[in-house]
Amino acid sequence: MQLRDYILRRVIILPILILGVSIIVFVLTRVGGSPIGIYLSHEMTPDEVAQIEARFNLDQPVWVQYIYWARGIFQGDFGWSGVAAAPVTDVFPNKLAATMELAIASGLVAVFLGISLGTYAGARRNRLPDHATRIVAVSGASLPQFWFGILLLIVFWANLGLAPIGRSDASIWSSISHPTGIYTVDAILAGSISAFWDAIWHLILPALTLGYGATAIIARMMRSSLVEELQQDYVDAARAKGLAERIVLRRHARRNALVPTVTVIGLTFGFLLQGTITVEIIFRWPGLGRWMADSVLRGDQATLMTYVLFTSVLFLLVNLVVDVIYAYLDRRVTLGK
Amino acid sequence: MIQLNWRTGIAGLFAGTGIALSMTASSLAQEINNPGLLVHAADDEPTTLDPAQVEPGEGGETVILQVYDRLLDIGPASPELIPSLATKVPSTDNGLISEDGMIYTFPIRGGVIFHDGSELTAHDVKYSWDRAMAMDLPEGNAGALIDAIDSTDVVDDYTFRVALKEPSASFLNSVVVSMVASIVSEDAVEANGGIQAGSPNTFMAGNMVGTGPYKFAAWNRNENIQLEVFDAYWGDNANLDVRIEIGGDPDVRVLGLRAGEFDTVETDPSFIADLEGAEGVTIYSGGLLLEPLHIGFNLNIPESALPDEDTIPANFFHDPRVRQAFNYAFDYEAFLNGPLAGYGEFNSHYIPIGIFGHDENAPRFAAQDLAKAEELFRDAGYWDEGFSVSVITEEGNLFALMCLVLKDSIEKLNPKFRINVLAVAESVFDDAHSQNPLEYAMWAKNADPAADPDFYMQAYIHPDGEWGEVHGFSNGYRDGEAVASLIDQAAVELDPGKRAAIYSELQTLLYEDPMWLIAAQEGVVMAHRDWLKGFAMQPLWPRPSLKFALFNK
Repeated sequence: MQLRDYILRRVIILPILILGVSIIVFVLTRVGGSPIGIYLSHEMTPDEVAQIEARFNLDQPVWVQYIYWARGIFQGDFGWSGVAAAPVTDVFPNKLAATMELAIASGLVAVFLGISLGTYAGARRNRLPDHATRIVAVSGASLPQFWFGILLLIVFWANLGLAPIGRSDASIWSSISHPTGIYTVDAILAGSISAFWDAIWHLILPALTLGYGATAIIARMMRSSLVEELQQDYVDAARAKGLAERIVLRRHARRNALVPTVTVIGLTFGFLLQGTITVEIIFRWPGLGRWMADSVLRGDQATLMTYVLFTSVLFLLVNLVVDVIYAYLDRRVTLGK
Repeated sequence: MIQLNWRTGIAGLFAGTGIALSMTASSLAQEINNPGLLVHAADDEPTTLDPAQVEPGEGGETVILQVYDRLLDIGPASPELIPSLATKVPSTDNGLISEDGMIYTFPIRGGVIFHDGSELTAHDVKYSWDRAMAMDLPEGNAGALIDAIDSTDVVDDYTFRVALKEPSASFLNSVVVSMVASIVSEDAVEANGGIQAGSPNTFMAGNMVGTGPYKFAAWNRNENIQLEVFDAYWGDNANLDVRIEIGGDPDVRVLGLRAGEFDTVETDPSFIADLEGAEGVTIYSGGLLLEPLHIGFNLNIPESALPDEDTIPANFFHDPRVRQAFNYAFDYEAFLNGPLAGYGEFNSHYIPIGIFGHDENAPRFAAQDLAKAEELFRDAGYWDEGFSVSVITEEGNLFALMCLVLKDSIEKLNPKFRINVLAVAESVFDDAHSQNPLEYAMWAKNADPAADPDFYMQAYIHPDGEWGEVHGFSNGYRDGEAVASLIDQAAVELDPGKRAAIYSELQTLLYEDPMWLIAAQEGVVMAHRDWLKGFAMQPLWPRPSLKFALFNK
């Protein structure tokens, strides 16, 4: 089969897969019970409950409810979020942008600190810096995020007043437009230094909290790889040529040690996304994590279904792209008949 | 060399942190954070900002109170009604209430401007009330208007008249000042979807156009709500813009207050201990909330509906001795001094302390009496065989703690007694709680606040009232007709002395025949920064009982 035909076939199958995923998402969510609770108040009479059910088509058989939901999705209506008190469609993009910004910032923190610490420790194997880095790494991997986050808040926000909480200074936020919803990018697009600084300033503590755990993993991986590389013959050869130790380390050993570390960095991003839930709650970060946590606790099924559907479809699309790239890069892959 | 640098760096970091700590601590004590802005950390996100849709006691009422006005208001210092958009408080003396108590006339204030620039007239008042009644949203409080009002009329541009269905002693206190009776801009509503019976107005749910001291600026979901001072307000202008920070971890709210990032915070009384003695923080306490914390007894349990672990018969609470025994067995002191941290009062009656009609001399359950409880359980025939019964409530709040105190109290009395506390998510509780018949023998929550005893009596005591019907009170009252008759008489009795006497009689009667276990009346307690001037709370205002326009820094 030609690559073009393979792509075509995968693209044709994609809607069927999405349909299947949507049915699974709907059914699994409904297994948890009716979504009516989030729209009710405790003093409502049965008549009033019936009115609410009719408003959200919850008085219909489940399969009819699914059709209403699926039809709504095609029309860009993902339902009403009881937690956010707004249409899911209105809220979701901004929340997603906030979470992505935090996860990316945390990733940058983790990569920068992880590689730096790992290199520093690996180059000084079994010396004090190596032991100190190990302590940092072990504590990063073992400290509960919520505890570490609150600790940072107590010191840097509550006592020192050096770092803020939340995502932005409300007045600075409202002084620029937000075409992407990613505050740092919007600030750059608007050419506002104060907004950019405000965005970075608000990112520091949550990104540090979230990135610390990942820093530990990356640092340990980097350290081990570097130690291994520094024992290779080519390193001895480089030293024998008279190259400075700094150049041997940076241009030769570290570059090779980065290969396995980069694999770990890729896997770490998923860990960071999961971690946003705790960090967003503690730092009042208005992202998907905090919204989802509230939605799970309060039974906001419209929001949960959107989130699960979004991640499922994203997964399908990424899989498709990866498969196609893989097939393109490695022609030994069988494309089917 | 490297080690030396590393050690030097660490030492420098500690030294720097110490210096910064000492410098910042001293500067924090002196500086006012966010001058010109009040930052209030709220517990909940509103579900709507539309007066026609908001549920009493819900977070949206907090914002509606600041942005919208009503015809009458309640001042911060006393429960007396004061003029607002109406220039006079109607009474029979000033002729604005007809002799038969059926017609109320409101002279409307001139020169009042809505936030959209339009001018208030009596047409807006009529439109606002008619709109709420026409929409009649199940989640809202339109029933308060619908139940009372026969018709509304515009006499002229500045005179509004209401005809009631029957005389009501509580119309002004319960209806006119309620958030559903807030006055909205007709122009704004008609330009944004108008009125549709039974359907919420999406624009009004997320936007506000009122006449209040604050105008709505922004609502960032799960983040904050921003209000700006309305310079053209008809009364005294507010001093500070407002940012309401929404939700988040309660510990973080407490930290934020200590740090001076928040000026006022909403917390449970149990968090107050964390703030006692904190520099720059004042703990305000005084008065009581008007939301009795209660546990309901269900006398209308459907066959085989109870949870499997429950062993009680369906008519368990039909017996007044059982209901009394629960009331005697409850450890009121443990609840008041534990979860409420001492902020509250014993009040087992359904007319809260601070409300007209509350009789402080009426008999009440205020102390645990295990001997009396045992005697009653023995008389009712449950002492030897024991029982197991579930109580459903929301998880992680005062209500769950109230249930745990009940569990301790009852199980301490007799090892054969068992209370199963089902603490569930709020949505699960609301779903279970809105059933009729209710499939649980007991549930725990608090009442909605009201300014008049008639609301409490109709909703929570009357055998044909909201809960009387769901709980099947008629199955259990010793003399349900007498209870109903007294409540109905008091509702239309315009003589305060006679009305108070009726409520006093009811309280004595209900002591012998309780339909609820009222654990306590929660105290008003709030922590705020010292630099906040003009702080006042009024329990008759919606939670958190604050009007931000009164504050300054």
